[in-house]
Amino acid sequence: MVDVLSPTTPDQLRDAVGWALGSETPLEIIGSGSKRAFGHSVRTNAVLDCSKLSGILFYQPEELVISARAGTPLADIKAALAEKNQQFHFEPGNFPALLDGSSGPDAGTIGGLVACNLAGPRRIKVGAARDHLLGFEAVSGRAEDFKSGGRVMKNVTGFDLSKLMAGSFGTLGVMHTVTLKVMPNDETSATVIVACSDPRAAGKAMTIAMGSENEVSAAAWIAPEDAPHLDVPLAGEYGSGLVALRIEGPKPSVAWRADALCRALAGFGECHEVPESHSRSIWKVVANVAPFVASENTGSILWRVSVPPASGGDICARLIEKTGGRAMMDWAGGLIWVQIAASDAANVPDAPDAMAGTIRDIVANVGGQANLVRASDEIRQATRVFHPEDPALARINARIKENLDPMGILNPGRIAPLSLNGEGA
Amino acid sequence: MLRMPEPDQHTLARRKDIIAAMRDIIPSPGGVIVDDDQLRPYECDGLMAYRQLPMIVVLPENTAQVAAILKYCHTNKIRVVPRGAGTGLSGGALPMADAITISMMKFNRVLDIDWDNRAAVVQPGVTNLGITRAVEHKGFYYAPDPSSQIACSIGGNIAENSGGVHCLKYGLTTNNVLGVEMVTIEGDILRIGGKGLDQAGYDLLGIITGSEGLLGIVTEVTVRILRKPETARALLLGFNSSEEGGNCVAAIIAAGIIPGGLEMMDAPAIKATEEFVQAGYPLDVEALLLVELDGPQVEVDYLIDRVGKIAKDCGAVYSRISENEEERLLFWSGRKNAFPAIGRISPDYMCMDGTIPRGRLSEVLTGMQDLSKKHGLGVANVFHAGDGNLHPLIMFDANKAGDLEKAEAFGADILRLCVAVGGVLSGEHGIGVEKRDLMGEMFSIDDMKHQERIKMAFDEDQLLNPGKVFPTLHGCGELKTLHAKAVADKFPDIPRF
Repeated sequence: MVDVLSPTTPDQLRDAVGWALGSETPLEIIGSGSKRAFGHSVRTNAVLDCSKLSGILFYQPEELVISARAGTPLADIKAALAEKNQQFHFEPGNFPALLDGSSGPDAGTIGGLVACNLAGPRRIKVGAARDHLLGFEAVSGRAEDFKSGGRVMKNVTGFDLSKLMAGSFGTLGVMHTVTLKVMPNDETSATVIVACSDPRAAGKAMTIAMGSENEVSAAAWIAPEDAPHLDVPLAGEYGSGLVALRIEGPKPSVAWRADALCRALAGFGECHEVPESHSRSIWKVVANVAPFVASENTGSILWRVSVPPASGGDICARLIEKTGGRAMMDWAGGLIWVQIAASDAANVPDAPDAMAGTIRDIVANVGGQANLVRASDEIRQATRVFHPEDPALARINARIKENLDPMGILNPGRIAPLSLNGEGA
Repeated sequence: MLRMPEPDQHTLARRKDIIAAMRDIIPSPGGVIVDDDQLRPYECDGLMAYRQLPMIVVLPENTAQVAAILKYCHTNKIRVVPRGAGTGLSGGALPMADAITISMMKFNRVLDIDWDNRAAVVQPGVTNLGITRAVEHKGFYYAPDPSSQIACSIGGNIAENSGGVHCLKYGLTTNNVLGVEMVTIEGDILRIGGKGLDQAGYDLLGIITGSEGLLGIVTEVTVRILRKPETARALLLGFNSSEEGGNCVAAIIAAGIIPGGLEMMDAPAIKATEEFVQAGYPLDVEALLLVELDGPQVEVDYLIDRVGKIAKDCGAVYSRISENEEERLLFWSGRKNAFPAIGRISPDYMCMDGTIPRGRLSEVLTGMQDLSKKHGLGVANVFHAGDGNLHPLIMFDANKAGDLEKAEAFGADILRLCVAVGGVLSGEHGIGVEKRDLMGEMFSIDDMKHQERIKMAFDEDQLLNPGKVFPTLHGCGELKTLHAKAVADKFPDIPRF
């Protein structure tokens, strides 16, 4: 039977980890459990459920800062920010819906968001969760309290452990409090749409847009078959793929820059400016990777590929060609989502690894990374879900893990399954 | 009194052998400095109150040499102090009598500009401004701009996670670095990060940035470059109290406006700078705000107008808008010369660097006036108002017995005050040796031990930049011991299912 521990205070959290340490009981750490299927399954007899460590501790809009217990539902935080016309600038989408068909909107907790270092379309301009985490408090695998950072955005006091905790998937410590930078919503936004079916041409258009003076805050490409998701009035008639470029800021500036951008990209295809109300829904589609959500793509495999943005168009075209899958680009080509039908994946020589070899070979030339986001548990146990690290870096990472969680009790095997490669756990 | 680790006599006794080994690694003339008169320029960095002649200075020219030096030092247990341009203000490059200072200033080439990915690959000795100079002909620039940008190196910027006046809008060094090549004390050459945004494993780039030379030596840097905004204009706004000035900053941000620069000065700082550079600052105000808006012309004109109205509502008694680039630069000249201006009216000054939640500004300034009386020394304040980073300039006379100690005690009290209101010890200058012994004001022993455990993962023998950042160096054995008491199996407080 799986033992579930649900601490309600930071002290109880420390006791729970202390118990796990004393009894050498590895823990699976969860918030709401919405991203449990991301990474490798953690097989433990005890679950540390942090969802009761919940609540906003302070939110000061004029200081651009919010602090909350890690188990606070993301939906609560987003609602509080929306009330003051603010947002997380890194624009996290509804990642859980890519993993699990039953996830509602804004599923998950703020701690889970940070632990997975998620980010949406604006990452190309402002970074990911790691760039907005000002400080945290946690309990390490040594069952000791530790904290780093603070509540101010300019801080170089001691090592920046916040960066380390963001994206560590709960393998170094269990955060109970996180403090993040928030930003005001822009006065308005607009999206410039360019008809473009070829991912290589789309990559070029996005590169030109990002290199222009127009401060593009997001750049995505959506393939012809998925274009209807954007619901651009003319999209159906175009019957083509679309490049979407977002401009945000004060009204006169947005209008001026959108015009300038249309002129700069006229050579790529029909160009069209989408007004604010519709612009917002387009970027929700992109942030949520709506064409590839689990509920509408049962049984398919989803990869998340990260490459230098300017190489995105070319890599995307090759990924489509070699995998026979569907793809979508975000981050001006820096992020490529590739969805492969499960049956296709099973029919290639390197099955059942979800074409990991094929995909990672393609991205290797440009120093890219490929992470497997959605696949059956069986495939995830047989494949390195996260891109394998360079051996010299892996050695350092293993030592960091060993020093903060010497008994390997925090999320063992989450980043690399124990059966494939001991991840210091 | 600052205490540094005791010099290792065994190392000092081997100095000749070490010099010979270094000359084998770096054959070019001038690559290994051993004579006292030539070592002298390296005896301190920008924190000139502390000086120590290094045992040897080496100037490697390539990554292979850095790797060979570090490997030798690791094998022979010799301490190492990395050094960039030596402009740091917290003593991060303070030498040690038994350590090799490794100067990275021969790594001064721009290696590649990747316009399509908006990235520049440079060697760590390239100056901060040097990056902008290399890309500005195509309308690009590198955003973080510490005030020492003409001299400070990008490698040093990474060590300190340097800021500047544009952080609120454009972020710190850590938000603008994409990747590094770094050599570990064991001589391994690591490539961390790159032009893609996701990286496998833990965020080592994030932990290296701001690690003050304690984790490795960076030998190559990839940074993000941005398109230079089409235009920029500045407003000077005067207020009758710092509280009103602070309220105006809050009101600008509450209106959803994030200015490129948002600076504040108090009356002593205004007076000193105006006398020094004649920037046209009003002398009858208690607080002066310098607000810079950047972007397309149409946006800047629009926002200037809005900020002007907000300032009026907040009780601004003085308002002036730059009408051309010359005037904008004149506005900035006062702020940018604040430090030398104070240097002109006081024989010496000490620049502090705390950050506070902005809303506590007037409380902190009042507290600082009380502390000024208590310690009997004057203080002027310049403030990165947008991000809460405070630079109190404590005026003293080093030739007067006891003045330096008074200034240090005053500075420590100011930083304690910053921490007490929810702020931090350092916003952008780093801890180094200067604030090392104050770390306990902000961190518990366990907090610091967890940081030191990261250090252990990179440098188990604690050879890289010892005596910096951490007030007490815990031994590796102690750091590895598990202290936590196992909690009894039954603990009824925790709900279970």
